[in-house]
Amino acid sequence: MYQAVIIGGSAGSFRAITKILNALPVGYSMPLLLNLHRLKHVRSGFMEALSIKSNIPVLEPYDKDSIKSGIAYLAPSNYHMYIELNKKIALSTEETVNHSRPSIDLSFATAAQTYHRNLIGIILSGANKDGAWGLKKIKDAGGTPIVQDPEECEVSTMSRAALEATNGNHIYSTDQIINFLLKH
Amino acid sequence: MNEYELGIVDTRNILKAIQVHYNSDFRNYALTFFKRRLEYIIKRYNLKSADNLVEKLTNDGSFFQLFLKEICVENTEMFRDPSLWRFLMDDFLTPLIQKSTSYKIWFPEVSSGEELYSLVILLTELNLQDYVEIHASSISENRMDKVKQGIFDLSKMEVNRANFKRIFRDKELDEYCTIENGEGYLNSSLLGNIRFFSQNANFDRSPGGVKLIMWRNQMLYYNQILEERLLKTMNSCLVPGGHLIIGLNERIDYWNSDKDFVLVGENDSVYKKKLS
Repeated sequence: MYQAVIIGGSAGSFRAITKILNALPVGYSMPLLLNLHRLKHVRSGFMEALSIKSNIPVLEPYDKDSIKSGIAYLAPSNYHMYIELNKKIALSTEETVNHSRPSIDLSFATAAQTYHRNLIGIILSGANKDGAWGLKKIKDAGGTPIVQDPEECEVSTMSRAALEATNGNHIYSTDQIINFLLKH
Repeated sequence: MNEYELGIVDTRNILKAIQVHYNSDFRNYALTFFKRRLEYIIKRYNLKSADNLVEKLTNDGSFFQLFLKEICVENTEMFRDPSLWRFLMDDFLTPLIQKSTSYKIWFPEVSSGEELYSLVILLTELNLQDYVEIHASSISENRMDKVKQGIFDLSKMEVNRANFKRIFRDKELDEYCTIENGEGYLNSSLLGNIRFFSQNANFDRSPGGVKLIMWRNQMLYYNQILEERLLKTMNSCLVPGGHLIIGLNERIDYWNSDKDFVLVGENDSVYKKKLS
């Protein structure tokens, strides 16, 4: 039933996201949309670091790229990444949101409009509140909001904010997130 | 976050009002982008609904200028993507300009001016400013007036300085700027020779004989119809062998079906118009 997975993370999320990418098989049945805060003036290195242990291709999309299953699309540095209704990526240099570009909130909210209840939204470790509003949008659209257990997060501000915004009951460790993704 | 959400019908009504009252056609802007900007404008100007925006546009001609200003997305910062600017400095501009009797550069949409400012600073550093003719246009006269005065948003000064340092390690951006009354100003002498002109949403005006077009991160906001049309415009005003630089995460492959352009700098999205 699910058609896409969107994951947001910031400080302390690298370990969790690499573990998830390492656990998903080649040809995974859904696209992964990754919005991870990063240094904006450093263009290279991050995608390559994520790719090292990933079984599925990790790429920074170009504007208007079509979204395909089995690929992880990483929001490019210094661009917002929107998910369009026609299941294409739209990039933007518009204003920062909560001091962030890319903004997790914007990616999540537009993915919710596109995939509705067929979307899994995951918030990982981070030191800010970006993503909480977007995860609520996913929940309101009928999708499944998942939050990394704050007890496991290296920095728990982001997951706690997401839990508060969604009254969430899917509080998972990284291993539980992986099990959930492998089952769907 | 912007909680006001426009419907598609509302968006189309606004597009129609703009078309009827100002003969300005935004139908080929990317629909979701355009809708998002309309929501931003409605909230920013406390208009509360699509009907109020239509009424304001219909009855207040001066508001249309504000509308155009808000529709233009800022370039975000000076020397955005420092590696591109380093490439322009180290490998690209000097040999091309020194071989040329006059080197014409066009910025089809200067928006907040930061790309233009970055280029004139770079040319000054390279002592090439006297060999270059720069044309700059915008659909927003408000924005262009600000750019003519060299104004930029001081809140970006920290990132501007950091980007500058990544390119010019021994220099300071502040040599080229002044700060007055809470605004940043590029030194006015740097902008004296730039030829500014107004543009409509279809970019019907363009200079000829252009050797370099700086058109970074603008196609993001157009749909495929307008992208293709504007790419033809860019092609027609570039000289054979001239260059087109677009945003790092933009590609023209979809529309380059006639192979008018060849990608010559993959990491920096630099295209060259074929010689024949």
